[in-house]
Amino acid sequence: MTDLLFNLIYVLLFPGLLFCVVMGVLLAGLDRIWVARMQRRVGPPLLQGWYDFLKCCGKETIIPRHGKKAIYYGAPLLGFVALITISLFLPVVNGQAAFSGTADLVVILYLLTLVSVCMIVGASATGSPFAGVGLSREMVAMISYELPFVLVILTVSKAVLAAGDGASYTFSLQAIADYQAANGPLITHWALIPAAIAMLFVIPCEVGMHPFDVSEAETEICEGTLAEYSGPPLALYRLTHMVKMFIMTALFCVLFLGGISTGFVVLDTLILIVFCLVLTFLTMSLPHAVCARFKTEQVFQFYWTVVAGLAAVSLILVWLGF
Amino acid sequence: MSAFINNFPVLAVMTLFVGGFLNSLVGRRHAVLQKIVVLVAVTGALAMMLALVKPVLVDGEIITYWLGNWEPVEGWAIGIALEVDALSLFFGLIVVVAVFVSGVYSFTYMSRDDSLVNYYTLFMMLGGSVLGLVLSGDLFNIFVMVEIMTFTAVALTAFRSHYEGALEGAMKYLVVGSLGSTFLLVGIAILYSQLHTLNLAQIAALLPEQSDNPLAGVAFAFLFIGFASKAFLFPFQPLAADAHAVAPASISLMISGVLTKCGVYGIIRLCYILYQNMDLAVVQYLVTGFGAVTMFICVTMAFQQHNFKRLLAFHSISQVGYVITAVGLGSALGVSAGLYHAMNHTIFKGLLFLTAGAVQHQTGSLDLDGLGGLSKKMPSTTALFLIGAASISGLPPFNGFASKWMIYQATFQKGVETNNFFFIIVCVLALLTSVLTLASFIKVTQSVFFGQLPEKYKDVKEVPLLMRVPMWILAVLCIVTGLFPTQVQNWLLLPATNAVFSAASYIDAAMGEGYAALHNIVSSGVTSLGVSTCWSPLSWLALLFCVTCAVTIVALLGGPDNKEDSHVSTADENAEELDPKYEPFFSGEESVYSQVGGSDLFWGFKHSWRKYFTFWTNWHSGVVNDYTLYGVVVTAFVLLACIIVL
Repeated sequence: MTDLLFNLIYVLLFPGLLFCVVMGVLLAGLDRIWVARMQRRVGPPLLQGWYDFLKCCGKETIIPRHGKKAIYYGAPLLGFVALITISLFLPVVNGQAAFSGTADLVVILYLLTLVSVCMIVGASATGSPFAGVGLSREMVAMISYELPFVLVILTVSKAVLAAGDGASYTFSLQAIADYQAANGPLITHWALIPAAIAMLFVIPCEVGMHPFDVSEAETEICEGTLAEYSGPPLALYRLTHMVKMFIMTALFCVLFLGGISTGFVVLDTLILIVFCLVLTFLTMSLPHAVCARFKTEQVFQFYWTVVAGLAAVSLILVWLGF
Repeated sequence: MSAFINNFPVLAVMTLFVGGFLNSLVGRRHAVLQKIVVLVAVTGALAMMLALVKPVLVDGEIITYWLGNWEPVEGWAIGIALEVDALSLFFGLIVVVAVFVSGVYSFTYMSRDDSLVNYYTLFMMLGGSVLGLVLSGDLFNIFVMVEIMTFTAVALTAFRSHYEGALEGAMKYLVVGSLGSTFLLVGIAILYSQLHTLNLAQIAALLPEQSDNPLAGVAFAFLFIGFASKAFLFPFQPLAADAHAVAPASISLMISGVLTKCGVYGIIRLCYILYQNMDLAVVQYLVTGFGAVTMFICVTMAFQQHNFKRLLAFHSISQVGYVITAVGLGSALGVSAGLYHAMNHTIFKGLLFLTAGAVQHQTGSLDLDGLGGLSKKMPSTTALFLIGAASISGLPPFNGFASKWMIYQATFQKGVETNNFFFIIVCVLALLTSVLTLASFIKVTQSVFFGQLPEKYKDVKEVPLLMRVPMWILAVLCIVTGLFPTQVQNWLLLPATNAVFSAASYIDAAMGEGYAALHNIVSSGVTSLGVSTCWSPLSWLALLFCVTCAVTIVALLGGPDNKEDSHVSTADENAEELDPKYEPFFSGEESVYSQVGGSDLFWGFKHSWRKYFTFWTNWHSGVVNDYTLYGVVVTAFVLLACIIVL
């Protein structure tokens, strides 16, 4: 019974639903304010994302004529759920995940893919040609960041495994957290720094932030994948987008900044929040304010050459035993 | 009772063959009787294979049946044997389930064709020959079954000969398929000349003593290429594409789900039991390399396709590439991952081919650029397709995810253990191929089921129930085998993997106790896979929890107002005449349907790789002479490698 209660708390409050949503809204709000300040604007209030969410929820949902209702509603929901599930597997606080040992990095990778796929299938189900263009771009963006992401995962796993005691879990997040608890954060390992930089590049593309938001380009294709969405499903997509900012930054913390623990849950959470804020500024706000949107093929070429190259350098270095 | 159960392997094979011949006797007059004969035969074979599960998979017995009771005398096996260990039964189960589903599906799907007698006779012979192949304990018998299999498959490919390219596809398959069969025969002949026996168990006992004999290496190369051609590995994949595109969907299921499995089974039998040379690094490179190249080239070629079933064909071979990659690792985890994926491949690929068949049955088209918006008209088929697509792309919680997860684990572990970068590249390729597979299936989803419905398809209806039932069987299997990976591992994969690593007991079961020890063959078997599952029930319960909460929250926050929606959508559906002012416009131009054609969906990706795509598109020239040449050249390379190293 107590187990059930604890699981319920994990899923609903911390580090599940509530915490993710709060963090997502916080990061998104700060991101907007930072970008505005860099562009010499005032920017919206901190909770603007939340207000948008509430407002969308109250609006009417209009399903287009060519749309498929079940998927129109189901896809945003499933995507959001898959994203929240990831938070349960990340050993963010105290080096412990809510449900440890049940999912590894590959599961995380695929759950993140599932989130994007839900978005794509949902867009596809609206039957809009704008969404068609948007989803094709989203697919290419996905292919783009997936290669460096995979290389980073292999690099980190290999680095941990090389030092470990032959654990049978090769992609285990718990092993990565334990290793960092014993040996300090992986980012202090010089051979892993290129991989960390590559991962920093993966974050904005995975989240779909500005210079890489080819699939939602408002000015070109009317928000592409979201073109036909309205009402609560749109609200859910917006929320998914915000929560993804938190999940991706937290994933970076798990992979490269783990092992910094004070033993107190509250303090650890605060440290995590600070890391997430810094990462949001570095990977999302700064490029957003500085760069104009890339073309689709530019995104692809950039990720498969520069970013994948950085990750590959790290993988080879780790392989050679550095 | 137990003595009677020993007859089941031969009876199961006989049932399918006799059913086929009986069908040609009675089926010409009585259409109903024909279906009853087919149904009884496929169900009978399925039941007999299921009856063997208890003794073989659970108790670990090896059932040996000597035709005509010609048992080995003084250590020489002259008679023909059927030998069923857990590996054979594992593939046997895959075969009978696929035959059953395909047979039931055919009843409605083929109802518009004529000369159905020929169809069912060939179909049953195809099923029987494949079942005979995996249960056989005799090398020459395997060749005979391969021949029956190839020729019935060729005939069935050309069954709808009025299709454009049907005869062409069958012709290519015939020529290059015969090439593969010939290589098999050459390999068998060499082995027979050296060892004077054709019994698998006896060959397995005698071969390791021949390790100095260069002819053993030559035979290995020929047999490997022979089986690889049956699995359509690189460079034989164009045949599969041509054959699948024109074959009836039920036959596509057989070709992708069953025929390719023969090649996989053959390669496992060859490397692990006959030669027991899987611990040699060069064999690992050879098998894994073939698998990895196949899986990557085929998935990229799928991007170029405009025909629904051609696209599925390339994916089918790409997934077989995964299986071979995993099998080639030589570790217990690799083998079980490969077997798991082989099983899942039959399930999800069968499902996808059947949904393609359903689309073809109702619309008469397989053109990805011409179809669209069918989800409104065929909701059940769309749901089934999405399940199949999610499975093949390896999305959790479907079965493709569980097996692919094991493949990544196995390749990565192999790379770390041997400290060999080759396996890491393979691992990256495997992960990448999975994303590309997903991308490619998004394209199909978008261009067939979603998007806008062309005017000419507005009267399309859902397929009849009898076609949906087989598809739902496969879809449920997709989910069940994905949700319970631990159970699948314990009940199916572990016994089969154990059989793969127990050459000695395979030999002893046929040749008598102690025969393996006499020839210094010791094998340990496998008792555990040394890795726990990726996706424990706890975590998907958590997922379920989340779903419920999310739904509640959405509902509480004012959520979807169903009354209004249904009002909106029905009003729209009833609007027959489309007002042109509601049409989408692009930069002042009136839109044509589906702005982004299926072929252009990945422009950013394809543009950056245009040289690669141009090269491989030209490589698939469609000329049978070229394909034969590729086969011969690759054989020459493998031959050279085997002679030098083995």
